[in-house]
Amino acid sequence: MINTKKKGLATLRRSTLTAITLILFVMVVIAGFISPYFLDMYNLQSLIRDLAFVGMIGIAQSLLLLVGELDLSVGKIASLCGILAGMLMVNGGVDPFLSLGIALILGLVFGLINGLLITKLRLNSMVATIGMSSVYGGINLVLTKGKAITQIPESIYSLGKGNIGPIPIPFLFTLGVLLLVLFLTKKTKTGRYIYAIGNNREAASILGIKVDKIRVMIYAIVGMICALAGILYVARLGSSQSTIGEKWPMMSIASAVIGGVALTGGTGNPAGALVGAAIISVISNVIVLLGVSVYWQSAVSGIVIVLAISFSSLSTIISEKKQKKLG
Amino acid sequence: MKVLEAKKITKLFPGVVALDDVDISIYSGEIHCIIGENGAGKSTLIKCLTGVYKPDAGEITINGKDAGKERSLFRRVAYVPQEINLFGHMTVAENLFLPYEKTGVNGLINQKELNQRALPLLKDFAINVEPEMLVRDIPVSAQQLIQIVRATVCQDYQILMLDEPTTSLTTEDTVLLFDIIRKIKATNKAIVFISHKLEEIFELGEVITVFRNGKRVAHERMPNVDLAWVITKMTGRAMNQDETFYSEKVTDEVLLEVNHVTGACFTDVSFKLRKGEILGFTGLVGAGRSELMQAIFGYLPAYGGSVKLNGKPFKLGETNYSVRHGFIYLPEDRKKMGILPMLSVRENITIPSLSKLTRYFSISRKRESALTEAVISAYNIKTPDAEKKIQFLSGGNQQKVIIGRSMSCDPQVLVFDEPTKGIDVGTKAEIYRLMKKLAEEKGIGIILISSEMEEVMKCANRIIALYHGEIYGEFACGEKKERILSAIIGVQADSKGSYAHD
Ligand SMILES: Nc1ncnc2c1ncn2[C@@H]1O[C@H](COP(=O)(O)OP(=O)(O)OP(=O)(O)O)[C@@H](O)[C@H]1O
Ligand SMILES: [Mg+2]
Repeated sequence: MINTKKKGLATLRRSTLTAITLILFVMVVIAGFISPYFLDMYNLQSLIRDLAFVGMIGIAQSLLLLVGELDLSVGKIASLCGILAGMLMVNGGVDPFLSLGIALILGLVFGLINGLLITKLRLNSMVATIGMSSVYGGINLVLTKGKAITQIPESIYSLGKGNIGPIPIPFLFTLGVLLLVLFLTKKTKTGRYIYAIGNNREAASILGIKVDKIRVMIYAIVGMICALAGILYVARLGSSQSTIGEKWPMMSIASAVIGGVALTGGTGNPAGALVGAAIISVISNVIVLLGVSVYWQSAVSGIVIVLAISFSSLSTIISEKKQKKLG
Repeated sequence: MKVLEAKKITKLFPGVVALDDVDISIYSGEIHCIIGENGAGKSTLIKCLTGVYKPDAGEITINGKDAGKERSLFRRVAYVPQEINLFGHMTVAENLFLPYEKTGVNGLINQKELNQRALPLLKDFAINVEPEMLVRDIPVSAQQLIQIVRATVCQDYQILMLDEPTTSLTTEDTVLLFDIIRKIKATNKAIVFISHKLEEIFELGEVITVFRNGKRVAHERMPNVDLAWVITKMTGRAMNQDETFYSEKVTDEVLLEVNHVTGACFTDVSFKLRKGEILGFTGLVGAGRSELMQAIFGYLPAYGGSVKLNGKPFKLGETNYSVRHGFIYLPEDRKKMGILPMLSVRENITIPSLSKLTRYFSISRKRESALTEAVISAYNIKTPDAEKKIQFLSGGNQQKVIIGRSMSCDPQVLVFDEPTKGIDVGTKAEIYRLMKKLAEEKGIGIILISSEMEEVMKCANRIIALYHGEIYGEFACGEKKERILSAIIGVQADSKGSYAHD
């Protein structure tokens, strides 16, 4: 009895990803029990559409966490790219899909700027991206004076609002991003270098790895993923708003950490970020369905998120205590 | 008097039996040396005896009482771990007295008082640093000594356990440390001492216990044994101690030409390395040998000078360029600059060869496993399997991974920076033989940085002595030891053909 339990705990600790997926599954079942509306098709679809965005940014963020850095400007890059795409389509009369392509490239450029600043001037990523976040947010305000850009051509709506079969299209994009990121991190040389840098930057440099080049590249990739999330959100709302992505920096970090990506770098699986995002989304969804007062929602979801983050350390603490008792 | 007794200690790690039914007794007023190959289980034993690990079986009694039940007994054991684990961003004084509860620092922390209390300790150990200096700014040898002082600050210890304390020490520091150890012993405390340097064991030891593969294979009083006995017990075979390892195929072809290179810790250094040659660099710790090589390698900045590889200009300041052109540096501090701790042995081995293993953008797992297996068996790396995280390998085996992986980058120049730090005698000879083979068979030029005079004298075709970042002498192999020794302490070699530049 004790033995099997021990084994169970051991597997849990070995693979945070399996454990966290299991937890997600249990949460979904419980949610289905406590609220009959939870498993409703419409509810599930909107939940998945929500989590697609946080998940996508979380996957991007986990790339940075793997090299021991983070980007707090993800939300502002997303909304600025959304605004720019909107202005191109609405005010500039550019073909909607061409505008989206341009916005993606602009996202890449913004990420590149972040990366170059941080590597060339040797800035701390957190402080630098807080600063850049204000810059992108500021440009956004200058361009829009705080007003939303409406009359987005309907031809792009389906990207955000549509479904293929029962599955929301943004979620398919998120899965696509995940597959690409997983290929990059798990299968390629560059991916191995990413883990190496996160493990020991000095050793990586002595091995001849172009540490700074890879860091800049990751910032650029992250910028582009942000732009993708931003324009999909514009398509979902049918208008470009400067408030898009306000919560994404924190949510993406929380998702990645819940999913087992270490803040200190070097370990974890980007897929964990998507599972982490799903956990957060299920929690917020259930809280709404249970009719928790609007004023309490944020506090309650916060508490549950902190609990979820502490999961992996909790399991270690529990097994250590058990060992002491047994010994 | 018997202070500590361990009976039938067994410690298992996933896939390894680190200790197998081990008995050991420690007596006060006696220096007990523990010796064994890399991965034999020495550090694991010490960690069990100090309460860091809990053995899977067996019992430990301290002062006749069961320490498994009464864990406070482990406070009687002061412990200096193998790896330096000080707080780099805190001052020397703060490091000495942490944790404060144990050292009787109560209430608000008064920096001045801490510094005052640290002064006599630093003086006793002749450590030449100020209490208010940050630990990361002081030399490694001083850090090592601080680590030892720290273990002895708490007064009520009866046993002092030192796990390879001399790996980062200079010869003088070692002499000093031995004096201190003898003084501590004279106060009727027990000492447990681990080292791979056999001459230290013979100088210091009174009893010796030998481990092999997690088992205790021999136990004797020191006067009854000799070097051959120790080596045979340790490795299971006899070994010739007088073997030399110079390259016998030094060519006239200049491989690397360094001209007037200047950097932060060295000035105007020029030398030539020939194909198939082993060139030794010796000097005191802090002479600037590592810094010089790291600057040529591109890891540290070089302020001036030029380098040619194979007669062609060699770009300075970019490690990637150096590695691509076959100039490889194997760092001295493997924990800080060598290993990728949380990655597996496989990932650590294949990291420099990924380009060769990649097909259609993705790494071929088959080729990767094949390379991993080849390196593990060629370099005799002891690991339960290739997926083990490298941080759990014994120090010596980590070093073998680092050497092994560099060989798959087609090196032309290999810089070995203290390659046998913390390596057992058997493996040391293996590494020397390997250097010789690489130089002779592949025509690789080898630069060997070492503080161990024996080592350079056994292996190097030529020896350059560095003092305060300047070349103070160049010697052919077979030179008298005294002449080299005087060069490394700053006495310029005379003009009879042994001056640095030609
Ligand atoms: N925390 C750990 N987890 C898993 N395996 C371990 C751990 N610590 C040690 N081992 C394994 O136990 C064996 C003994 O290791 P140990 O560090 O005691 O060797 P050692 O004799 O001190 O070697 P060295 O001279 O290289 O320091 C090795 O095979 C090592 O890989
Ligand atoms: Mg050891």
